[in-house]
Amino acid sequence: MTVTTTAPSPRVTGSPVRRPSRRGVLRWLVPLGPALLLMAIFMAGPILWNVYIAFTNETLTGSASVNSQFVGVANFVRLFGDANFLNSFALTFVFVIGSAVIGQNTLGLIIALLQRGRGRVTRSVVNGVVIAAWVVPEVVAAVCWFSFLAEEGTLNTVLGLSQEWLYTAPMVAVVLANIWRGTAFSMLVYSAALSEVPADLVEAAAVDGAGPWRRLLHVTLPLIRRSIMANLMLITLQTLASFGLIYALTGGGPGTASQTTPLYMYEQAFRYFEIGYGSAIALVMLVIGALFSLVYLRLIKVEDVA
Amino acid sequence: MRRALAGSLLALAVAAAACGAEPEQESAGGKEIEVLYKVEPTWPHLEKMLGDAKKQYESTHPGVTIKLTPVQGNNEAYYTKLALLNRSADSAPDLYYHDTFQVNADVAAGKLAPLDDLLATWPDWQAQFPDSVKQAAKGGDGKIYGVPISTDTRGLWYHKDVFAKAGLPVPWEPKTWNDVLTAARTIKQKAPGVIPFSMYSTKIHGEAATMQGFEMLLYGTPGGTLYDDAQKKWVAGGKNFTDALTFVNTVYREELGPKLADAHNAKLAQKILYEWFPAAKLGIALDGAWVSAGWTPTSTQPWPEWKDKIGWTPMPTQNGEAPGAVSMSGGWVMAMSSYTKHKREAFDFITVATNKDNSMTYSVGTGDLAARKDVAADPKYSAENPSIKFWTDLASVTHYRPAYEAYPKVSAQIQEAMEAVTSGSKSPEEAAADYAKALPGVVGGADKVLAR
Repeated sequence: MTVTTTAPSPRVTGSPVRRPSRRGVLRWLVPLGPALLLMAIFMAGPILWNVYIAFTNETLTGSASVNSQFVGVANFVRLFGDANFLNSFALTFVFVIGSAVIGQNTLGLIIALLQRGRGRVTRSVVNGVVIAAWVVPEVVAAVCWFSFLAEEGTLNTVLGLSQEWLYTAPMVAVVLANIWRGTAFSMLVYSAALSEVPADLVEAAAVDGAGPWRRLLHVTLPLIRRSIMANLMLITLQTLASFGLIYALTGGGPGTASQTTPLYMYEQAFRYFEIGYGSAIALVMLVIGALFSLVYLRLIKVEDVA
Repeated sequence: MRRALAGSLLALAVAAAACGAEPEQESAGGKEIEVLYKVEPTWPHLEKMLGDAKKQYESTHPGVTIKLTPVQGNNEAYYTKLALLNRSADSAPDLYYHDTFQVNADVAAGKLAPLDDLLATWPDWQAQFPDSVKQAAKGGDGKIYGVPISTDTRGLWYHKDVFAKAGLPVPWEPKTWNDVLTAARTIKQKAPGVIPFSMYSTKIHGEAATMQGFEMLLYGTPGGTLYDDAQKKWVAGGKNFTDALTFVNTVYREELGPKLADAHNAKLAQKILYEWFPAAKLGIALDGAWVSAGWTPTSTQPWPEWKDKIGWTPMPTQNGEAPGAVSMSGGWVMAMSSYTKHKREAFDFITVATNKDNSMTYSVGTGDLAARKDVAADPKYSAENPSIKFWTDLASVTHYRPAYEAYPKVSAQIQEAMEAVTSGSKSPEEAAADYAKALPGVVGGADKVLAR
């Protein structure tokens, strides 16, 4: 088995790049092959089909379902002139920022920070409660929040009010429910990250006279910044695609007051049977998700270089 | 390395084979007919009817198995599930319970089998189904695509105690829309705590909002229609349309209807049936013939007193124009998939499911009007339900939806307009204008729209 090494490519400064030989390619391709093929069939396939359908007038039933036609970018033109889509887009933004970036992320970090140095009992109890919310299925979580916020629900009974929260403040309701459900994930990520922060660094900062706030800001957070970015990326993507919780809690209503883009997509594709238009929405969602990931990945890279 | 490659390929082949191999459902010699239907906890009647039919059928048809596949949920969930299963010949059920307004879209998609040849071999079709009922699932090509299980009419239910308390006459006979609104206003004034009037007017209620709500108004205006039969065009808005929306607007802006949260509640029908009417918390409901079935002894929450407490009357036309009343009719059919391999056996099951006994079970349970003459004539049919004659007679003033291929989409636009007016986000004029604007895109071009 011969291994050839080539000269460093002129584009790359510094470390030499080893271009793998054909044998080398086979060495990683063969074991990966089955997985790659399965991914191609079950992931890339549907995505490509979705891309194709997004440029047709395909419907679930009716004459367009048997002879659908290529309509170019008509679906996208319609999409960006559709007030309901723009509304759903704004709501998705509010939902992602409110429940994931601010809510789950901050709350998860706070809980993880507060848990440092606590007794085992406290940690188990808090962990247990927070994670319990995470492991229940989406629909169960939605039912819990429904019974909490309903007119004869727990909240109104405790406060002595008669307020239909899911009608008067649907976005607040779904954002709260999603924070409640998703915080555990961020908490676990941050607990793991915080346990990697060397205690002597924090102690040294304390000896130098840094208060708790400064220690957090200048020692702890910079050390876990990569976990923060990774966590933000994961929960952003999860929340962007969130469907079940909102669907079960408010159904996107009243009207379109909590209809985020995934719900709008479902309504168009599966309620009004406009599968082509729904696919166009899905494609736009895909691009937005990809953009978010790119931004986060770039931020992580920037951190690495710095 | 080569061995590793061969190993991976083998593993892949096994995996692919496992994915590709379909469980062959039909055992040697046996045939299976899959029947898709809808069931809800408060609505078990269809399941009972089909369960009975399965027993009867299998005892007389050895070698054929009926597989009953229920869909849990409301009508909208059922439409979606059916449309998705129908995408492929492999997953499409052989027979299905089908809402008549969806029939033409499925005919256009080639998913339904015409039944004319098979119906010709079935004596009951000529003897027991009235001509008007036979049209329920007629395609644009004039062929019949389903056997009617039931039909229905719509009108007003009202609570006599509430009317007495408000000083309104019983029996109540409103002649115009204004009479209805005046009664509602009186109830609001004289019977505080009672919801004066309820109707379905939001997207969550789907076709119920379009049909029980909007169309009951529109078809009661002079010349009001969604579709101009003479010119074969969809009617875009206009005064009739705006007037119908104005009625909805008046109900909610004057707070004559349920609270907005309830108007948007998926369980509004259950509230009307099981909470508000029995507790005398509701004055008038614009709803369907089947409502009283919720109170019969076989229902989940029987309310025997309904026969004394509840009255019924036709929905009047806008200003009392002839014929003085309006009603809308729809209904459900048993339809056959064009993909089915066993047309004869499947059709035989339809004839068993819609025979006299099974139709009776369904009609008495659901409160829907019987499609068959022998069921309608049977004293058992009306024994428990004093309102049934009234609802049956409404057929003389009833209208049918323009159930063309584009209708489901038109209906969705109407729901948008109604919901906007219900919540107050648009005025009736704005909502009607938006409907007129959206219509060409929905029905396939401006040449299919008649501007008003």
